[in-house]
Amino acid sequence: MRKATAVFLVLLLGLFFLPRLEAAGGHLKVALTANLNTLDPAKAKSGDEYLYMFMVFNALTRIAPDMSVQPDLAERWEASPDLKTWTFHLRKGVRFHHGRELDSEDVKATIERIQDKATGSTARVNFLMVEKIEAPDRYTVKFTLSLPYAAFPEILGERQARVVPKERIAELPTQPVGTGPFRFKSFKPGDRVELVKNPDYFETGLPRLDAVTLLVIPESATRIAALETGEVHAVWKLPLEAIDRLKKHPQVVVDEVATSSWDGIIMHNRMAPFDNPKVRKAVFLAIDKAQAAEIALFGHGSPTLTPIPPSHPFFNESIPLKADPAAAKKLLAEAGLPNGFETTLMVPEGRPERERLGLAVRDMLKAVGVKVNIQRVPWDKFLADVEGKAAFSINGFFSRPTVDTSLYPWYHSSGSWNTGLWHYKNERVDRILDTARQTASVEERRKLYRELQQVVAEDPPSVVPYVVNQVDGFRKEVKGLRSNPMLWFDVRQVTLE
Amino acid sequence: MVLYTLRRLVLIVLLLGVMSVLLFAITQVLPGNVARMILGQFATPDAIEAVETRLGLKDPLVIQYGRWFFGIVRGDFGQSLIMERPIGPVLAEALGRSAVLAALSFVLVASVGILLGVIAAVRKNRPIDHAVSVFSYLGISVPEFFWGIAFILVFARWLGWLPSAGYSPIGEGFGNWFARLIGPTLTLTFTLIAHVSRLTRSSMLETLRSRYVLAARAKGLPERVILFRHALRNALLPTITVLAIDVGWLFGGIVVVETVFAFPGLGRLVAFAIERRDLPLIQATLLVITAVYCLANLAADLLYAALNPRIRYARRTS
Repeated sequence: MRKATAVFLVLLLGLFFLPRLEAAGGHLKVALTANLNTLDPAKAKSGDEYLYMFMVFNALTRIAPDMSVQPDLAERWEASPDLKTWTFHLRKGVRFHHGRELDSEDVKATIERIQDKATGSTARVNFLMVEKIEAPDRYTVKFTLSLPYAAFPEILGERQARVVPKERIAELPTQPVGTGPFRFKSFKPGDRVELVKNPDYFETGLPRLDAVTLLVIPESATRIAALETGEVHAVWKLPLEAIDRLKKHPQVVVDEVATSSWDGIIMHNRMAPFDNPKVRKAVFLAIDKAQAAEIALFGHGSPTLTPIPPSHPFFNESIPLKADPAAAKKLLAEAGLPNGFETTLMVPEGRPERERLGLAVRDMLKAVGVKVNIQRVPWDKFLADVEGKAAFSINGFFSRPTVDTSLYPWYHSSGSWNTGLWHYKNERVDRILDTARQTASVEERRKLYRELQQVVAEDPPSVVPYVVNQVDGFRKEVKGLRSNPMLWFDVRQVTLE
Repeated sequence: MVLYTLRRLVLIVLLLGVMSVLLFAITQVLPGNVARMILGQFATPDAIEAVETRLGLKDPLVIQYGRWFFGIVRGDFGQSLIMERPIGPVLAEALGRSAVLAALSFVLVASVGILLGVIAAVRKNRPIDHAVSVFSYLGISVPEFFWGIAFILVFARWLGWLPSAGYSPIGEGFGNWFARLIGPTLTLTFTLIAHVSRLTRSSMLETLRSRYVLAARAKGLPERVILFRHALRNALLPTITVLAIDVGWLFGGIVVVETVFAFPGLGRLVAFAIERRDLPLIQATLLVITAVYCLANLAADLLYAALNPRIRYARRTS
């Protein structure tokens, strides 16, 4: 009897100490820039919403910081030889926060909901190629596509494709339930979102924090003051003007990473003088990509050739990014414009980076004899009258989840953005894009996309001078938090000291 | 007096009805709608139509309005289209927080503003009068967002005396709650005080020149009694009108101050609703603001009567 009591006491003590040894604990406070429009991951479209979603939900796959695709809720997957049928095998024993085990029907319901027009998900366009979703057993999901598509696992890691429990969809806006490392506790609109650790999270030992609170602080000066005083631990997306000052702060770390969001110098390929490929190439050569990033983003951008960021394994580093005014002048002379020409550059108002890029273009083209008049246009008018209609304009575009979705719409002659924006046609580019989609081997795809960058540097549709960097600010006591090219925070490993 | 008050209340309800129709009409004319906001810049027309159908925006306007109106009559503010949650609790919370902010600022504007006005009048053209002028003009001529950010930089970042922003429920400690009210309240007060102090000063000066003040002085009454019992009571009448109008100004200031101080109140909710074209939320929030404004004007009129026996609204025959 006494022995049993002793054993019991030891066990009790063990229980008492065990969690203390394991859990690092802590309560992380992150500043959001605006109130969340929705708690429903299918409808999310702002960076603030992504921050919350990646803490509460999981997708079938995960896009790692190096842009490679990793297992998340699916532990493995395989494709049919024609790349049109994809089978995903779910991890067993994953539980939603309300206790039920995740199964294949939840995945089916989640993706079908995104495909439904009435849901209003911005990710719908990525799932148009999915013809049929089947759930042959509890842990298997089969997707049938209308075209061969090698990068389909990356599409399933898309931000909105978070898997939700099929019977709790109506409650998503008010009481969201996911499988993620943190559980939803409360949302006070305009004020904060409170999340607590999910003790049953399927990655054992994670997350290491006890709780996360997301605080809505709309004014950027206030957000930065809160970071400096330590009232928040992390500020997502710092304003460019604040970065240098914050770098000097003894308690703050500034972290920066290239994303695939980009600004473009857009030339209409059917309007003179940009209908002449030599003129387009002359403009491409006249622009110094690193200087453009320096002027437009105060250096917080990464010079590139296409929306593929220079940090990506597919980036072709052999193509020069520096300006070559002599070659540009020569090309203009060959195009019958030895004295250059005069043109109007349309720039959207209220987007200071793009306005500064416009100024950089004006000065760089002046050096090759092209006179640029800048015209600023209000955003609504820009969308209605300029985009796709002006000969010469500046605009910016957000990152897409895969290299294919970042390039195909803009560079393929049938691409949705190409046909609405700059009307580029290059048969070799078309062939590379179509082949790459259907190429399962990553190494083969890398070769193809490197070749594509070579081709578009020779025959550029327009100029993509840089991709935008994501710059975040963290307190020094936060360990394990990094900026992410998908614009979210991975807080699973994070601890507070 | 009671009859008068009742009649005014009925008028306010009618006015709110008219306002609701007007607001509804204005939001129909605004470019863009909530379906476009949900789908973003690159939405296709068929997707917009599908979302509009789901949200009931395709129904005839009369039906949309009727649905909303009968909801309000039953005390149901409906659902926010963008957040997809009931408006009632969200609105009540935001209103409660802003009410505290507004009430504190209003009391400060009224008391400090009147006091400064009296001091300036009594010490006319003396250094203190000029100091009050400079102080109040500085407040009114530089916008709230500047003073708000300046306040945060000085008191939170440099001195570290106060938290920089946010809101803490009173249930989590009075100190935390109050510390986060100081910044927004003082900023609002500072930017509004000029109206009251300038007006009190000038009407006080006028009253001090009047014959009954001269008579009171001749009677040998102490200066304090002359100032506060005789002069101020009359000088306050225009100030009260301006204070009622200031309630409207206060709402304008609250939108800015709540944004700067990350204070989750009614002002931010209104801005959020309008930016997202969230029709039911716009209607509900603006209706509440209209109601508060109308009631403030009614209160001012009643106070007027209480202070000035020459005005007796209900007794037309006498």
